[in-house]
Amino acid sequence: MDKKELLKLEYTALNLRRNILRLIRAGEAGHVGGALSSVEILTALYFYLLRIDPKKPDWSQRDRFVLSAGHKCLVLYAALAERGFFDKAVLDTYGSLDSRVPGHPNMHKLPGIETNTGALGHGLSISGGMALGIKLDKSPSKVYVVMGDGELAEGSNWEAASAAAMHKLDNLIVFVDRNNLQISGPTVEVMSYEPLAERWRSFGWGVRTIDGHNLETIIHTVKQTPFEIDKPSVIIADTVKSKGLSFAEGKVSYHYWKTKPDELEQAERDLDNIEKLLKAKMEGIGL
Amino acid sequence: MINELKDPRKSFGDAIMEAALENPNIVVLSADSSSGSGLGDFPAKFPDRHFEFGIMEQGVIGYACGLATTGKIPVFAAIAPFVTARPYEMFRNDLGYMNQNVKVVGRCAGLTYDQLGSTHHSLDDVAIIRTIPGVTIINPGDPVTIRKAVHAMIKHVGPCYMKIGNPKMPVLYPEDIDFRLGKGIVIKDGRDVALIGTGTVLSKAVAAAKLLEESGVSVRLIDIHTIKPLDRDLILSAAREIGKIVTVEEHFLAGGLGSAIAELCSQEFPVKMKMIGINDLYASNGPYEQLIGKYGLQPDQIKETVIKFLNNK
Repeated sequence: MDKKELLKLEYTALNLRRNILRLIRAGEAGHVGGALSSVEILTALYFYLLRIDPKKPDWSQRDRFVLSAGHKCLVLYAALAERGFFDKAVLDTYGSLDSRVPGHPNMHKLPGIETNTGALGHGLSISGGMALGIKLDKSPSKVYVVMGDGELAEGSNWEAASAAAMHKLDNLIVFVDRNNLQISGPTVEVMSYEPLAERWRSFGWGVRTIDGHNLETIIHTVKQTPFEIDKPSVIIADTVKSKGLSFAEGKVSYHYWKTKPDELEQAERDLDNIEKLLKAKMEGIGL
Repeated sequence: MINELKDPRKSFGDAIMEAALENPNIVVLSADSSSGSGLGDFPAKFPDRHFEFGIMEQGVIGYACGLATTGKIPVFAAIAPFVTARPYEMFRNDLGYMNQNVKVVGRCAGLTYDQLGSTHHSLDDVAIIRTIPGVTIINPGDPVTIRKAVHAMIKHVGPCYMKIGNPKMPVLYPEDIDFRLGKGIVIKDGRDVALIGTGTVLSKAVAAAKLLEESGVSVRLIDIHTIKPLDRDLILSAAREIGKIVTVEEHFLAGGLGSAIAELCSQEFPVKMKMIGINDLYASNGPYEQLIGKYGLQPDQIKETVIKFLNNK
Protein backbone atom coordinates (compact mmCIF):
# COMPACT_ATOMS: atom_id res chain seq x y z
CA MET A 1 0.00 0.00 0.00
CA ASP A 2 1.44 3.42 -0.90
CA LYS A 3 1.61 6.34 1.49
CA LYS A 4 -1.15 8.29 -0.24
CA GLU A 5 -3.56 5.44 0.03
CA LEU A 6 -2.67 4.94 3.67
CA LEU A 7 -3.11 8.63 4.50
CA LYS A 8 -6.52 8.61 2.84
CA LEU A 9 -7.51 5.69 5.01
CA GLU A 10 -6.26 7.52 8.09
CA TYR A 11 -8.41 10.45 7.06
CA THR A 12 -11.35 8.09 6.71
CA ALA A 13 -10.68 6.79 10.22
CA LEU A 14 -10.86 10.38 11.42
CA ASN A 15 -14.18 10.79 9.62
CA LEU A 16 -15.48 7.71 11.42
CA ARG A 17 -14.46 9.27 14.74
CA ARG A 18 -16.26 12.46 13.72
CA ASN A 19 -19.36 10.41 12.85
CA ILE A 20 -19.20 8.73 16.25
CA LEU A 21 -19.03 12.12 17.90
CA ARG A 22 -21.99 13.24 15.79
CA LEU A 23 -24.03 10.28 17.07
CA ILE A 24 -22.98 10.92 20.65
CA ARG A 25 -23.86 14.59 20.34
CA ALA A 26 -27.37 13.63 19.18
CA GLY A 27 -27.93 11.01 21.86
CA GLU A 28 -26.02 12.81 24.63
CA ALA A 29 -24.65 9.41 25.68
CA GLY A 30 -23.39 6.14 24.25
CA HIS A 31 -20.89 3.29 24.32
CA VAL A 32 -18.03 5.39 23.03
CA GLY A 33 -14.99 3.58 24.45
CA GLY A 34 -15.23 0.35 22.49
CA ALA A 35 -16.48 2.14 19.38
CA LEU A 36 -13.39 4.33 19.25
CA SER A 37 -11.00 1.46 19.98
CA SER A 38 -12.17 -0.41 16.89
CA VAL A 39 -12.26 2.51 14.43
CA GLU A 40 -9.13 1.43 12.55
CA ILE A 41 -10.38 -2.17 12.28
CA LEU A 42 -13.67 -1.05 10.73
CA THR A 43 -11.93 1.49 8.52
CA ALA A 44 -9.65 -1.21 7.12
CA LEU A 45 -12.62 -3.51 6.59
CA TYR A 46 -15.20 -1.15 5.13
CA PHE A 47 -12.81 0.98 3.06
CA TYR A 48 -10.28 -1.58 1.86
CA LEU A 49 -10.97 -5.24 2.59
CA LEU A 50 -14.68 -6.04 2.41
CA ARG A 51 -16.22 -7.05 -0.93
CA ILE A 52 -19.43 -5.08 -0.57
CA ASP A 53 -21.64 -2.80 -2.60
CA PRO A 54 -23.65 -0.17 -0.70
CA LYS A 55 -26.12 -0.11 -3.61
CA LYS A 56 -26.68 -3.88 -3.26
CA PRO A 57 -26.54 -4.58 0.48
CA ASP A 58 -28.09 -8.04 -0.01
CA TRP A 59 -25.72 -9.13 -2.80
CA SER A 60 -25.32 -12.87 -2.21
CA GLN A 61 -21.59 -12.88 -2.94
CA ARG A 62 -20.76 -10.10 -0.45
CA ASP A 63 -18.40 -10.48 2.46
CA ARG A 64 -20.19 -10.42 5.80
CA PHE A 65 -19.33 -8.29 8.80
CA VAL A 66 -20.71 -9.25 12.20
CA LEU A 67 -20.32 -6.94 15.17
CA SER A 68 -20.48 -9.49 17.94
CA ALA A 69 -19.87 -6.82 20.54
CA GLY A 70 -23.05 -5.02 19.53
CA HIS A 71 -22.60 -2.18 21.98
CA LYS A 72 -19.78 -0.92 19.73
CA CYS A 73 -22.51 -0.09 17.18
CA LEU A 74 -21.60 3.60 16.97
CA VAL A 75 -18.53 2.64 14.94
CA LEU A 76 -20.64 0.41 12.69
CA TYR A 77 -23.13 3.20 12.02
CA ALA A 78 -20.21 5.57 11.46
CA ALA A 79 -18.61 3.22 8.91
CA LEU A 80 -21.84 2.35 7.07
CA ALA A 81 -22.85 6.00 6.77
CA GLU A 82 -19.36 6.99 5.57
CA ARG A 83 -19.42 4.14 3.03
CA GLY A 84 -22.77 5.32 1.67
CA PHE A 85 -25.18 2.67 2.92
CA PHE A 86 -27.45 5.41 4.25
CA ASP A 87 -27.65 9.16 4.64
CA LYS A 88 -25.49 10.66 7.37
CA ALA A 89 -28.51 12.60 8.59
CA VAL A 90 -29.67 9.33 10.18
CA LEU A 91 -26.77 9.71 12.63
CA ASP A 92 -28.43 12.82 14.07
CA THR A 93 -31.42 10.75 15.22
CA TYR A 94 -29.41 8.69 17.70
CA GLY A 95 -31.31 8.55 20.99
CA SER A 96 -34.66 9.65 19.58
CA LEU A 97 -37.87 7.60 19.52
CA ASP A 98 -37.89 4.98 16.74
CA SER A 99 -34.43 5.99 15.58
CA ARG A 100 -32.91 3.75 12.92
CA VAL A 101 -29.68 3.81 14.89
CA PRO A 102 -30.60 2.21 18.22
CA GLY A 103 -28.20 1.47 21.07
CA HIS A 104 -27.54 -1.95 19.58
CA PRO A 105 -27.74 -2.72 15.85
CA ASN A 106 -30.98 -3.86 14.23
CA MET A 107 -30.74 -5.37 10.73
CA HIS A 108 -34.39 -4.60 10.04
CA LYS A 109 -33.82 -0.86 10.43
CA LEU A 110 -30.86 -0.14 8.16
CA PRO A 111 -29.19 -1.60 5.07
CA GLY A 112 -25.76 -3.11 5.58
CA ILE A 113 -26.34 -4.48 9.07
CA GLU A 114 -26.04 -8.27 9.00
CA THR A 115 -27.11 -9.23 12.54
CA ASN A 116 -29.00 -8.10 15.60
CA THR A 117 -26.36 -8.24 18.28
CA GLY A 118 -26.18 -6.74 21.73
CA ALA A 119 -26.36 -9.70 24.07
CA LEU A 120 -22.73 -10.81 24.16
CA GLY A 121 -21.51 -14.22 23.06
CA HIS A 122 -23.90 -14.60 20.09
CA GLY A 123 -21.92 -13.23 17.16
CA LEU A 124 -19.32 -15.92 16.77
CA SER A 125 -21.73 -18.82 16.36
CA ILE A 126 -23.90 -16.81 13.96
CA SER A 127 -20.77 -15.94 11.98
CA GLY A 128 -19.72 -19.58 11.98
CA GLY A 129 -23.09 -20.51 10.49
CA MET A 130 -22.66 -17.85 7.80
CA ALA A 131 -19.19 -19.15 7.00
CA LEU A 132 -20.53 -22.70 6.79
CA GLY A 133 -23.38 -21.67 4.48
CA ILE A 134 -20.98 -19.73 2.27
CA LYS A 135 -18.71 -22.77 2.00
CA LEU A 136 -21.69 -24.97 1.10
CA ASP A 137 -22.43 -22.54 -1.73
CA LYS A 138 -18.78 -22.67 -2.81
CA SER A 139 -18.75 -18.88 -2.64
CA PRO A 140 -15.47 -16.96 -2.16
CA SER A 141 -17.07 -14.65 0.42
CA LYS A 142 -15.51 -14.25 3.85
CA VAL A 143 -17.02 -13.55 7.24
CA TYR A 144 -15.38 -10.94 9.46
CA VAL A 145 -16.23 -10.54 13.12
CA VAL A 146 -15.35 -7.99 15.78
CA MET A 147 -15.52 -9.21 19.36
CA GLY A 148 -14.71 -7.42 22.58
CA ASP A 149 -12.13 -8.79 24.99
CA GLY A 150 -14.56 -8.61 27.93
CA GLU A 151 -17.05 -10.52 25.79
CA LEU A 152 -14.74 -13.53 25.76
CA ALA A 153 -15.89 -14.45 29.28
CA GLU A 154 -19.14 -15.68 27.73
CA GLY A 155 -18.77 -19.46 27.42
CA SER A 156 -20.87 -19.60 24.25
CA ASN A 157 -17.92 -18.08 22.37
CA TRP A 158 -15.80 -21.10 23.10
CA GLU A 159 -18.49 -23.51 21.90
CA ALA A 160 -18.58 -21.49 18.70
CA ALA A 161 -14.78 -21.45 18.44
CA SER A 162 -14.53 -25.23 18.79
CA ALA A 163 -17.15 -25.77 16.11
CA ALA A 164 -15.49 -23.31 13.70
CA ALA A 165 -12.24 -25.26 13.96
CA MET A 166 -14.00 -28.62 13.72
CA HIS A 167 -15.78 -27.55 10.53
CA LYS A 168 -12.56 -26.02 9.10
CA LEU A 169 -14.04 -22.57 8.58
CA ASP A 170 -10.98 -20.97 6.97
CA ASN A 171 -13.21 -18.21 5.57
CA LEU A 172 -13.89 -16.90 9.08
CA ILE A 173 -11.73 -14.04 10.38
CA VAL A 174 -12.21 -12.74 13.90
CA PHE A 175 -10.82 -9.57 15.44
CA VAL A 176 -10.62 -9.39 19.21
CA ASP A 177 -10.62 -5.69 20.00
CA ARG A 178 -8.37 -6.03 23.03
CA ASN A 179 -8.78 -2.63 24.68
CA ASN A 180 -8.22 -4.28 28.08
CA LEU A 181 -11.10 -2.59 29.86
CA GLN A 182 -14.67 -3.50 30.73
CA ILE A 183 -17.30 -1.90 32.95
CA SER A 184 -15.86 -3.09 36.26
CA GLY A 185 -12.21 -2.50 35.45
CA PRO A 186 -9.25 -4.08 33.63
CA THR A 187 -10.47 -7.20 31.84
CA VAL A 188 -7.67 -9.42 33.13
CA GLU A 189 -8.68 -8.48 36.68
CA VAL A 190 -12.42 -8.95 36.14
CA MET A 191 -12.11 -12.35 34.41
CA SER A 192 -8.77 -13.05 32.87
CA TYR A 193 -8.60 -14.52 29.38
CA GLU A 194 -4.83 -14.91 29.44
CA PRO A 195 -2.93 -16.43 27.78
CA LEU A 196 -5.28 -15.27 25.03
CA ALA A 197 -3.27 -16.23 21.93
CA GLU A 198 -2.52 -19.67 23.33
CA ARG A 199 -6.14 -20.14 24.26
CA TRP A 200 -7.33 -19.49 20.69
CA ARG A 201 -4.50 -21.63 19.31
CA SER A 202 -5.51 -24.52 21.56
CA PHE A 203 -9.05 -24.23 20.18
CA GLY A 204 -7.67 -24.90 16.70
CA TRP A 205 -7.38 -21.38 15.33
CA GLY A 206 -4.57 -19.57 13.51
CA VAL A 207 -3.58 -16.55 15.61
CA ARG A 208 -1.79 -13.21 15.11
CA THR A 209 -1.40 -10.36 17.59
CA ILE A 210 -1.10 -6.86 16.13
CA ASP A 211 -1.37 -3.13 16.84
CA GLY A 212 -5.09 -2.59 16.31
CA HIS A 213 -4.66 1.08 15.45
CA ASN A 214 -2.18 0.55 12.60
CA LEU A 215 -4.18 0.42 9.38
CA GLU A 216 -1.32 -0.90 7.28
CA THR A 217 -0.70 -3.72 9.75
CA ILE A 218 -4.38 -4.63 9.93
CA ILE A 219 -4.67 -4.87 6.16
CA HIS A 220 -1.39 -6.74 5.74
CA THR A 221 -2.43 -9.24 8.43
CA VAL A 222 -5.88 -9.89 6.97
CA LYS A 223 -4.29 -10.50 3.57
CA GLN A 224 -2.35 -13.37 5.14
CA THR A 225 -5.48 -15.21 6.20
CA PRO A 226 -6.05 -18.06 6.62
CA PHE A 227 -2.94 -18.11 8.77
CA GLU A 228 -3.01 -21.89 8.77
CA ILE A 229 -4.51 -24.30 6.25
CA ASP A 230 -8.13 -25.26 6.97
CA LYS A 231 -8.26 -23.19 10.17
CA PRO A 232 -10.29 -20.13 11.12
CA SER A 233 -8.20 -17.05 11.89
CA VAL A 234 -8.19 -14.71 14.87
CA ILE A 235 -6.42 -11.38 15.01
CA ILE A 236 -5.87 -10.11 18.52
CA ALA A 237 -5.84 -6.36 18.01
CA ASP A 238 -4.24 -4.41 20.84
CA THR A 239 -6.12 -1.15 21.12
CA VAL A 240 -6.76 1.79 23.42
CA LYS A 241 -10.27 2.31 24.70
CA SER A 242 -11.74 5.69 23.67
CA LYS A 243 -8.80 6.18 21.26
CA GLY A 244 -8.63 9.77 20.03
CA LEU A 245 -10.25 11.55 22.97
CA SER A 246 -7.50 12.95 25.19
CA PHE A 247 -9.62 13.04 28.33
CA ALA A 248 -11.08 9.55 27.93
CA GLU A 249 -8.36 7.32 26.49
CA GLY A 250 -7.78 4.23 28.62
CA LYS A 251 -10.35 5.23 31.23
CA VAL A 252 -13.00 2.74 32.39
CA SER A 253 -15.53 5.49 33.05
CA TYR A 254 -15.84 6.22 29.30
CA HIS A 255 -17.10 2.72 28.44
CA TYR A 256 -20.46 4.50 28.36
CA TRP A 257 -20.08 8.25 28.05
CA LYS A 258 -22.75 10.61 29.33
CA THR A 259 -21.59 13.77 27.66
CA LYS A 260 -20.87 17.12 29.28
CA PRO A 261 -20.63 20.29 27.16
CA ASP A 262 -16.99 20.95 28.00
CA GLU A 263 -16.05 17.36 27.16
CA LEU A 264 -17.79 17.60 23.79
CA GLU A 265 -15.83 20.76 23.04
CA GLN A 266 -12.61 19.04 24.04
CA ALA A 267 -13.50 16.06 21.86
CA GLU A 268 -13.94 18.38 18.86
CA ARG A 269 -10.57 20.00 19.57
CA ASP A 270 -8.93 16.56 19.85
CA LEU A 271 -10.28 15.50 16.47
CA ASP A 272 -9.31 18.88 14.96
CA ASN A 273 -5.76 18.29 16.19
CA ILE A 274 -5.69 14.86 14.55
CA GLU A 275 -6.86 16.50 11.35
CA LYS A 276 -4.09 19.12 11.51
CA LEU A 277 -1.48 16.39 11.86
CA LEU A 278 -2.96 14.45 8.97
CA LYS A 279 -3.06 17.55 6.75
CA ALA A 280 0.60 18.26 7.52
CA LYS A 281 1.44 14.68 6.57
CA MET A 282 -0.52 14.98 3.35
CA GLU A 283 1.19 18.23 2.41
CA GLY A 284 4.49 16.52 3.15
CA ILE A 285 3.88 14.04 0.35
CA GLY A 286 2.26 16.54 -1.98
CA LEU A 287 -1.41 15.56 -1.52
CA MET B 1 -54.28 -47.19 9.74
CA ILE B 2 -56.38 -45.57 12.49
CA ASN B 3 -55.22 -46.48 16.01
CA GLU B 4 -52.00 -48.09 14.72
CA LEU B 5 -49.14 -47.18 17.07
CA LYS B 6 -46.19 -45.39 15.51
CA ASP B 7 -42.94 -43.90 16.80
CA PRO B 8 -43.28 -40.09 16.61
CA ARG B 9 -39.55 -39.65 16.16
CA LYS B 10 -39.54 -41.97 13.16
CA SER B 11 -42.56 -40.17 11.70
CA PHE B 12 -40.70 -36.89 12.13
CA GLY B 13 -37.39 -38.17 10.77
CA ASP B 14 -38.98 -39.84 7.74
CA ALA B 15 -40.83 -36.64 6.91
CA ILE B 16 -37.61 -34.60 7.10
CA MET B 17 -35.93 -37.11 4.77
CA GLU B 18 -38.84 -36.76 2.31
CA ALA B 19 -38.66 -32.98 2.48
CA ALA B 20 -34.87 -32.98 2.07
CA LEU B 21 -35.17 -34.97 -1.16
CA GLU B 22 -37.42 -32.26 -2.57
CA ASN B 23 -35.66 -29.22 -1.13
CA PRO B 24 -31.85 -29.00 -1.42
CA ASN B 25 -31.71 -26.07 1.00
CA ILE B 26 -32.65 -28.23 3.98
CA VAL B 27 -29.67 -28.90 6.25
CA VAL B 28 -29.73 -30.76 9.56
CA LEU B 29 -27.75 -29.68 12.61
CA SER B 30 -27.08 -32.06 15.45
CA ALA B 31 -26.05 -31.48 19.04
CA ASP B 32 -25.18 -35.15 19.39
CA SER B 33 -28.91 -35.47 18.85
CA SER B 34 -29.76 -36.49 15.29
CA SER B 35 -29.82 -40.25 15.87
CA GLY B 36 -32.10 -39.84 18.88
CA SER B 37 -34.42 -37.59 16.90
CA GLY B 38 -35.31 -40.03 14.15
CA LEU B 39 -32.63 -38.60 11.87
CA GLY B 40 -30.14 -41.43 12.19
CA ASP B 41 -30.21 -42.11 8.45
CA PHE B 42 -29.87 -38.48 7.40
CA PRO B 43 -26.03 -38.24 7.52
CA ALA B 44 -25.58 -41.26 5.24
CA LYS B 45 -28.25 -40.09 2.81
CA PHE B 46 -27.20 -36.42 2.78
CA PRO B 47 -23.57 -36.36 3.97
CA ASP B 48 -22.95 -32.76 2.84
CA ARG B 49 -26.08 -31.48 4.54
CA HIS B 50 -25.65 -32.85 8.05
CA PHE B 51 -23.51 -31.00 10.58
CA GLU B 52 -22.53 -32.44 13.92
CA PHE B 53 -21.68 -30.03 16.72
CA GLY B 54 -21.61 -32.13 19.84
CA ILE B 55 -23.44 -31.12 22.97
CA MET B 56 -23.62 -27.33 22.51
CA GLU B 57 -27.26 -26.45 21.94
CA GLN B 58 -26.97 -22.67 22.38
CA GLY B 59 -24.16 -22.54 19.83
CA VAL B 60 -26.11 -24.70 17.39
CA ILE B 61 -28.96 -22.18 17.43
CA GLY B 62 -26.45 -19.47 16.46
CA TYR B 63 -24.93 -21.61 13.70
CA ALA B 64 -28.44 -22.36 12.43
CA CYS B 65 -29.17 -18.63 12.35
CA GLY B 66 -26.02 -17.95 10.34
CA LEU B 67 -26.80 -20.76 7.89
CA ALA B 68 -30.32 -19.38 7.43
CA THR B 69 -28.87 -15.99 6.43
CA THR B 70 -27.33 -17.76 3.44
CA GLY B 71 -30.65 -19.22 2.30
CA LYS B 72 -30.40 -22.63 3.94
CA ILE B 73 -33.31 -24.10 5.90
CA PRO B 74 -31.67 -25.46 9.04
CA VAL B 75 -33.48 -28.14 11.02
CA PHE B 76 -32.24 -28.68 14.57
CA ALA B 77 -33.82 -31.46 16.63
CA ALA B 78 -32.82 -32.39 20.17
CA ILE B 79 -34.32 -33.06 23.59
CA ALA B 80 -37.00 -30.41 24.12
CA PRO B 81 -35.67 -28.50 27.18
CA PHE B 82 -32.21 -28.32 25.63
CA VAL B 83 -33.49 -26.46 22.55
CA THR B 84 -35.86 -24.15 24.42
CA ALA B 85 -35.11 -23.40 28.08
CA ARG B 86 -31.34 -23.71 27.81
CA PRO B 87 -30.74 -21.56 24.70
CA TYR B 88 -33.73 -19.26 25.24
CA GLU B 89 -31.77 -16.07 24.59
CA MET B 90 -30.31 -17.49 21.36
CA PHE B 91 -33.80 -18.53 20.28
CA ARG B 92 -35.16 -15.08 21.09
CA ASN B 93 -32.39 -12.95 19.58
CA ASP B 94 -30.88 -15.07 16.79
CA LEU B 95 -34.08 -16.69 15.51
CA GLY B 96 -36.96 -14.50 16.72
CA TYR B 97 -35.53 -10.98 16.64
CA MET B 98 -33.56 -11.70 13.48
CA ASN B 99 -36.59 -13.53 11.98
CA GLN B 100 -34.51 -16.41 10.63
CA ASN B 101 -35.97 -19.35 8.77
CA VAL B 102 -34.83 -22.02 11.24
CA LYS B 103 -36.84 -25.08 12.32
CA VAL B 104 -36.20 -26.11 15.92
CA VAL B 105 -37.70 -29.40 17.03
CA GLY B 106 -38.00 -30.41 20.66
CA ARG B 107 -38.38 -34.16 20.92
CA CYS B 108 -39.23 -36.32 23.90
CA ALA B 109 -41.25 -33.28 24.98
CA GLY B 110 -43.68 -32.96 27.88
CA LEU B 111 -43.34 -35.85 30.32
CA THR B 112 -42.43 -38.38 27.65
CA TYR B 113 -38.88 -38.70 29.00
CA ASP B 114 -40.83 -40.16 31.89
CA GLN B 115 -38.13 -41.83 34.00
CA LEU B 116 -35.48 -39.18 33.44
CA GLY B 117 -36.96 -36.57 35.75
CA SER B 118 -37.52 -32.85 35.64
CA THR B 119 -34.22 -31.89 33.96
CA HIS B 120 -35.42 -33.79 30.91
CA HIS B 121 -39.13 -33.05 31.10
CA SER B 122 -40.32 -30.11 29.07
CA LEU B 123 -43.40 -28.56 30.62
CA ASP B 124 -42.44 -24.94 29.99
CA ASP B 125 -41.31 -24.94 26.35
CA VAL B 126 -44.53 -23.54 24.91
CA ALA B 127 -44.72 -20.95 27.69
CA ILE B 128 -41.27 -19.54 27.04
CA ILE B 129 -41.17 -19.78 23.25
CA ARG B 130 -44.68 -18.29 23.03
CA THR B 131 -43.24 -15.01 24.35
CA ILE B 132 -41.03 -14.64 21.27
CA PRO B 133 -42.78 -12.57 18.58
CA GLY B 134 -43.02 -14.20 15.17
CA VAL B 135 -42.27 -17.80 16.16
CA THR B 136 -44.73 -20.45 14.97
CA ILE B 137 -45.32 -23.20 17.56
CA ILE B 138 -46.56 -26.56 16.31
CA ASN B 139 -47.62 -29.45 18.56
CA PRO B 140 -49.08 -32.25 16.42
CA GLY B 141 -51.00 -35.01 18.15
CA ASP B 142 -50.57 -38.05 15.92
CA PRO B 143 -48.11 -39.58 13.43
CA VAL B 144 -50.09 -38.42 10.37
CA THR B 145 -50.14 -34.79 11.46
CA ILE B 146 -46.48 -34.94 12.54
CA ARG B 147 -45.59 -35.73 8.94
CA LYS B 148 -47.90 -33.05 7.58
CA ALA B 149 -46.62 -30.56 10.13
CA VAL B 150 -43.03 -31.16 8.99
CA HIS B 151 -43.90 -30.36 5.37
CA ALA B 152 -45.96 -27.32 6.39
CA MET B 153 -43.16 -26.09 8.64
CA ILE B 154 -40.58 -26.38 5.85
CA LYS B 155 -42.85 -24.48 3.43
CA HIS B 156 -43.50 -21.74 6.00
CA VAL B 157 -40.85 -19.02 5.90
CA GLY B 158 -39.90 -17.98 9.43
CA PRO B 159 -38.74 -19.40 12.73
CA CYS B 160 -40.67 -22.45 13.99
CA TYR B 161 -40.70 -24.56 17.11
CA MET B 162 -42.24 -28.02 16.78
CA LYS B 163 -42.57 -30.48 19.62
CA ILE B 164 -43.01 -34.22 19.52
CA GLY B 165 -43.11 -36.96 22.13
CA ASN B 166 -41.25 -40.17 22.65
CA PRO B 167 -43.46 -43.26 23.17
CA LYS B 168 -45.40 -44.68 20.27
CA MET B 169 -48.65 -42.86 19.62
CA PRO B 170 -51.86 -43.93 17.89
CA VAL B 171 -52.80 -42.75 14.42
CA LEU B 172 -55.86 -40.53 14.86
CA TYR B 173 -56.31 -39.13 11.37
CA PRO B 174 -56.67 -40.52 7.85
CA GLU B 175 -53.80 -39.72 5.49
CA ASP B 176 -55.90 -37.17 3.59
CA ILE B 177 -56.67 -35.01 6.64
CA ASP B 178 -56.58 -31.31 5.75
CA PHE B 179 -53.70 -29.93 7.83
CA ARG B 180 -52.94 -26.23 7.72
CA LEU B 181 -50.66 -24.27 10.04
CA GLY B 182 -52.69 -22.01 12.31
CA LYS B 183 -55.95 -23.85 11.63
CA GLY B 184 -57.30 -26.18 14.30
CA ILE B 185 -59.16 -29.36 13.44
CA VAL B 186 -62.70 -30.05 14.70
CA ILE B 187 -62.52 -33.80 15.19
CA LYS B 188 -66.21 -34.02 16.08
CA ASP B 189 -68.97 -31.53 16.79
CA GLY B 190 -71.00 -31.32 20.00
CA ARG B 191 -72.99 -28.85 22.12
CA ASP B 192 -72.30 -29.33 25.87
CA VAL B 193 -68.56 -28.65 26.11
CA ALA B 194 -65.61 -27.80 23.89
CA LEU B 195 -62.76 -30.18 24.69
CA ILE B 196 -59.52 -28.83 23.23
CA GLY B 197 -56.42 -30.98 23.15
CA THR B 198 -52.92 -30.72 21.74
CA GLY B 199 -49.82 -32.81 21.15
CA THR B 200 -48.92 -35.97 23.02
CA VAL B 201 -52.17 -36.11 25.00
CA LEU B 202 -54.52 -35.37 22.11
CA SER B 203 -55.25 -39.11 21.94
CA LYS B 204 -56.23 -39.01 25.64
CA ALA B 205 -58.69 -36.20 24.91
CA VAL B 206 -60.08 -38.22 21.98
CA ALA B 207 -60.62 -41.24 24.27
CA ALA B 208 -62.11 -39.01 26.99
CA ALA B 209 -64.57 -37.54 24.48
CA LYS B 210 -65.73 -41.05 23.63
CA LEU B 211 -66.28 -41.83 27.32
CA LEU B 212 -68.17 -38.56 27.76
CA GLU B 213 -70.42 -39.30 24.78
CA GLU B 214 -71.17 -42.69 26.30
CA SER B 215 -72.22 -40.83 29.48
CA GLY B 216 -74.52 -38.60 27.48
CA VAL B 217 -72.29 -35.52 27.27
CA SER B 218 -72.11 -33.99 23.81
CA VAL B 219 -68.51 -32.90 23.11
CA ARG B 220 -67.04 -30.63 20.47
CA LEU B 221 -63.57 -32.10 20.21
CA ILE B 222 -60.89 -29.80 18.83
CA ASP B 223 -57.21 -30.38 17.99
CA ILE B 224 -55.16 -27.21 18.29
CA HIS B 225 -51.91 -28.42 16.71
CA THR B 226 -50.65 -24.89 16.09
CA ILE B 227 -50.43 -23.09 19.41
CA LYS B 228 -49.05 -19.95 17.82
CA PRO B 229 -50.55 -18.33 15.86
CA LEU B 230 -53.68 -19.48 17.62
CA ASP B 231 -56.80 -20.28 15.57
CA ARG B 232 -58.79 -17.40 17.03
CA ASP B 233 -61.89 -17.94 14.91
CA LEU B 234 -62.25 -21.61 15.80
CA ILE B 235 -61.78 -21.00 19.52
CA LEU B 236 -64.02 -17.94 19.69
CA SER B 237 -66.79 -19.74 17.80
CA ALA B 238 -66.57 -22.56 20.36
CA ALA B 239 -66.74 -19.97 23.13
CA ARG B 240 -69.78 -18.26 21.61
CA GLU B 241 -71.66 -21.38 20.57
CA ILE B 242 -70.91 -23.62 23.56
CA GLY B 243 -69.74 -21.33 26.34
CA LYS B 244 -67.70 -23.96 28.17
CA ILE B 245 -64.11 -24.90 27.34
CA VAL B 246 -61.83 -27.56 28.78
CA THR B 247 -58.19 -27.72 27.63
CA VAL B 248 -55.93 -30.77 27.80
CA GLU B 249 -52.15 -30.55 27.49
CA GLU B 250 -48.97 -32.16 28.75
CA HIS B 251 -47.56 -28.81 29.85
CA PHE B 252 -47.62 -26.42 32.77
CA LEU B 253 -50.93 -24.64 33.21
CA ALA B 254 -48.87 -21.45 33.20
CA GLY B 255 -48.23 -20.31 29.67
CA GLY B 256 -49.40 -23.29 27.66
CA LEU B 257 -52.34 -23.86 25.32
CA GLY B 258 -54.97 -23.40 28.05
CA SER B 259 -53.30 -20.21 29.08
CA ALA B 260 -53.23 -18.93 25.49
CA ILE B 261 -56.93 -19.73 25.07
CA ALA B 262 -57.77 -18.06 28.39
CA GLU B 263 -55.87 -14.96 27.29
CA LEU B 264 -57.90 -14.85 24.09
CA CYS B 265 -61.31 -15.57 25.58
CA SER B 266 -60.89 -13.26 28.56
CA GLN B 267 -60.34 -10.40 26.12
CA GLU B 268 -62.85 -11.31 23.41
CA PHE B 269 -65.58 -13.50 24.86
CA PRO B 270 -65.20 -14.63 28.49
CA VAL B 271 -66.49 -18.14 29.15
CA LYS B 272 -66.14 -20.76 31.85
CA MET B 273 -62.92 -22.71 31.44
CA LYS B 274 -61.13 -25.63 33.00
CA MET B 275 -57.47 -26.23 32.21
CA ILE B 276 -56.06 -29.74 32.57
CA GLY B 277 -52.28 -29.92 32.73
CA ILE B 278 -49.47 -29.83 35.25
CA ASN B 279 -49.65 -27.26 38.03
CA ASP B 280 -46.76 -25.34 39.52
CA LEU B 281 -44.42 -28.19 40.47
CA TYR B 282 -41.49 -30.35 39.37
CA ALA B 283 -43.11 -33.47 37.98
CA SER B 284 -42.22 -36.86 39.37
CA ASN B 285 -40.72 -39.78 37.45
CA GLY B 286 -42.00 -43.21 36.50
CA PRO B 287 -43.58 -45.18 33.64
CA TYR B 288 -45.20 -42.73 31.21
CA GLU B 289 -48.82 -43.88 31.47
CA GLN B 290 -48.66 -43.88 35.26
CA LEU B 291 -46.86 -40.55 35.31
CA ILE B 292 -49.44 -38.67 33.24
CA GLY B 293 -52.12 -40.38 35.37
CA LYS B 294 -50.53 -38.73 38.41
CA TYR B 295 -51.44 -35.40 36.79
CA GLY B 296 -54.97 -36.29 35.68
CA LEU B 297 -54.25 -36.76 31.99
CA GLN B 298 -55.71 -40.26 31.46
CA PRO B 299 -59.05 -40.46 29.59
CA ASP B 300 -61.19 -41.51 32.57
CA GLN B 301 -59.64 -38.73 34.67
CA ILE B 302 -60.28 -36.16 31.93
CA LYS B 303 -63.86 -37.40 31.72
CA GLU B 304 -64.37 -37.00 35.49
CA THR B 305 -62.86 -33.53 35.44
CA VAL B 306 -65.15 -32.48 32.59
CA ILE B 307 -68.26 -33.85 34.31
CA LYS B 308 -67.34 -32.11 37.58
CA PHE B 309 -66.75 -28.90 35.64
CA LEU B 310 -70.12 -29.15 33.88
CA ASN B 311 -71.95 -29.90 37.14
CA ASN B 312 -70.31 -26.99 38.96
CA LYS B 313 -72.84 -24.29 38.12
